[in-house]
Amino acid sequence: MDIFTQAEILLRDSHYETWRWTGSAGSVICFENAALMGFVHVFDTADTLLSTWSANQQAALTRHAVSLRGAGAKAWNVYSVFLTPDKDMQQGRQIERIEENFSLTRKLARASITTPDDVERALLPLLSIRSKPLLGASNFETRLRTRLKDIPPDAVIALLNEATPADVARILGEVS
Amino acid sequence: MRLDSIEICGFRGFRDLVQITFGRGFTVITGRNGVGKSTLCDAVEFAITGSISKYAVEKAAKESLSDYLWWRGEGVPDAHYVKVSFVDDDGELFTITRTRESGADHSVDEIHAMLCHSSAPDDALRQLTRTSIIRDEWIAALSLDLTETERFDLVRSALGALEGSEAGSRAKEVVAAAEAAHSKDENVYGAARSRLTDKLTQQSEAQAALSRSGDLSSALQIIGAAAPEAPPELTERLTAGRHALANGRVRLDKMEDALQLGREVALAQAAYNAPETVADREAALAAHEAAQREYQTVQRAVLEAEQRLIREEDMDVMAASLSLLVEHGEQLGLHEDHCPLCAAHRTSEEFAAGLAAARRRITSLASGVQAARDVLAAAKENAQQPSLTLQAVGVKVQAHANELRQLREQEAAHVEFYKQWSIDPRFLNDPDGLEQAISSERGRLIDLERALLVLEASQAVAQISSIESSISTLRSEVENLAQAVSKSKNAVTAAREIERSVRRVSAEIIDERLAQISPLLNELYQRLRPHAEWKTIDYSIRGDVRRFLSLKVGDGLNPQFVFSSGQRRAAGLAFLLSVHLARAWTPLRTLLLDDPVQHIDDFRALHLVEVLAAFRLDGRQIICAVEDPALADLLCRRLVSTATESGRRLDIDHGPLGVTNVITEQEIHPMPVSVLRGLATA
Repeated sequence: MDIFTQAEILLRDSHYETWRWTGSAGSVICFENAALMGFVHVFDTADTLLSTWSANQQAALTRHAVSLRGAGAKAWNVYSVFLTPDKDMQQGRQIERIEENFSLTRKLARASITTPDDVERALLPLLSIRSKPLLGASNFETRLRTRLKDIPPDAVIALLNEATPADVARILGEVS
Repeated sequence: MRLDSIEICGFRGFRDLVQITFGRGFTVITGRNGVGKSTLCDAVEFAITGSISKYAVEKAAKESLSDYLWWRGEGVPDAHYVKVSFVDDDGELFTITRTRESGADHSVDEIHAMLCHSSAPDDALRQLTRTSIIRDEWIAALSLDLTETERFDLVRSALGALEGSEAGSRAKEVVAAAEAAHSKDENVYGAARSRLTDKLTQQSEAQAALSRSGDLSSALQIIGAAAPEAPPELTERLTAGRHALANGRVRLDKMEDALQLGREVALAQAAYNAPETVADREAALAAHEAAQREYQTVQRAVLEAEQRLIREEDMDVMAASLSLLVEHGEQLGLHEDHCPLCAAHRTSEEFAAGLAAARRRITSLASGVQAARDVLAAAKENAQQPSLTLQAVGVKVQAHANELRQLREQEAAHVEFYKQWSIDPRFLNDPDGLEQAISSERGRLIDLERALLVLEASQAVAQISSIESSISTLRSEVENLAQAVSKSKNAVTAAREIERSVRRVSAEIIDERLAQISPLLNELYQRLRPHAEWKTIDYSIRGDVRRFLSLKVGDGLNPQFVFSSGQRRAAGLAFLLSVHLARAWTPLRTLLLDDPVQHIDDFRALHLVEVLAAFRLDGRQIICAVEDPALADLLCRRLVSTATESGRRLDIDHGPLGVTNVITEQEIHPMPVSVLRGLATA
């Protein structure tokens, strides 16, 4: 899986404009919508991410400094996303601690990014709500009739047809 | 549908009129503690439901919330009311005004019709405010700190009215109706059994009194001997005794008939076997044999005479034919010296001699017929007397045979009678023994009848009969009532099965729905990230009658006990927000949050802001009251404001006279786009 490509797919699905910029530290995905903008950096290893994320962030910001200075309040809404497929658990925790650094940009930093779901989980703060439960009809009556096949059908019909409870009880008493 | 504006006057801390127009995209309200941020949420809830549910204690020191709904500070408000306006996607306004004096200007049904779909849960308006307004007080109370049952009920309510929820309550009513009918039947049955018990006690006492009477006691013994199979009840025993008496009488009559028959058979046998009768029978048989022999002899003579006559008559016929032939030949005469009859060459002499010889032969043939007739007549005359004799002797022998047959028939009828009436066969040839048995049976029947008369004449018996009659009726009644109880019991069982099935089907549907919203809960949990290690949360449902919803993180751990208070609040928020989003039964797309970040660190507050931003991306209206101006700044920057769904920021504070007012009101404009590309446009 190509993390860059998957990230662009997800961001475009959420109505971000995305494009790729290649600087001295390699490729970066730039993204922006009505409220946010940011950069996605991908690293081969956790070591590389931990050692170079700050420099890469700075390089991207420097490159776009002019634009950011003219962005007004939106300049506060810059995200730096640092991702690596490396699965080192120990370093994974260190990487996530990067997110608690609030200087310059809001950071999303994750290791073990190997599937599209991993990319989606990492980018969740940038995306609209993903889960949209579709609650359809439950066919209660059909299911209940099937469940009550040993009960006299007249009583079940009366119950579902909103006969009085006393009438339903009477029918049950007559056929018992 | 979203909140458009609110107007408050004389309500809680707002003495003077305050009007707030909400941004269609979001509104962030800031203010110090106690300036009335929460009152804005209270006002929305009060306008919709007529009460404020966050105050769980209704009464304290004889005062209740209603005493504090309206302004109680210095000065007098111009009016006391709350007015809340909603606007739908077409721009149509729906306004609810609730005044202190006259309540709401819309009925509950009208408000319900505007804010809820048909599939709304019970008490829908309260559920609507409960799941639309997330207050600081509720984040803990309605999330992780809920009991598992309360949590289940909250989620079920958020899902809206499920198909069959009405059937569930109706099934309960059916169970109640069936149980009431069964209870009634059991009471009637119990009362009948009680009456029966009383009667049985009376019967026992009366029978004890009866047994203490000597005559009655011996009478009972006699009846018991006559009808040993009879039931113990006196009436039954009397009836059985009467039957035994009637049967005994019939049997006695038949025994007497059998005795008569036996005596007749014995007389007939004696007559048939008397010596003179036997000699007479033997003589008749001998005479019959002799007469038969003589009769056969004369009959043979008659037969021979008849055969001889037949032969003679045949020869006479031949002679007559020959005579005609001779006469014809004689008339013709010789013809050229030849015989006209046989064409032989004959002379006249030979022809004449032949004719004479023929005439002699004819005479000889015709002469024997008369003699044979005479012999036959004599033989028949000789046979007449032996025939008469044989006939007379045969009549006598037949008479003796008839006598024997009648005797045998009489004997067979005698045996058959014994069999038919089951009389002891030993008495077949013992009439005297039978007579003795008849005498004994007659005596027994007399004793039995006396015993019956004694009992029937007794007053105790009359009393017992009455009791037994009642007992019989009561037994029948108890039996019928027992059947009715059995039927009504079955009806209760069936009703419970219906109720159980309704509950189970409903529970299954809820389980399925919860399974459907589970990814949403997990997504919000992942977004809020209350814990660094436990990145997902699972739920499980258990229970049948009472339902429990448990939340688990990691290896089945209960977050209620392993999370810090801040983490619990963050996890609780994920739960409440998923409940809010799962509602499909309301068109209202507004989420109000009253200071949701207390006890939450900055990092997790940022996560919450990002979640609210995601809600905004989904087109929902966010109204959020916070104390921290920096957080308000963050919200205003992070929540999307567009040309059609703009944002607003309000700062409220007390004025110089201690009255709450809106100090600043700011429109949050959309941010520039295409900034990074250097094509920025505002």
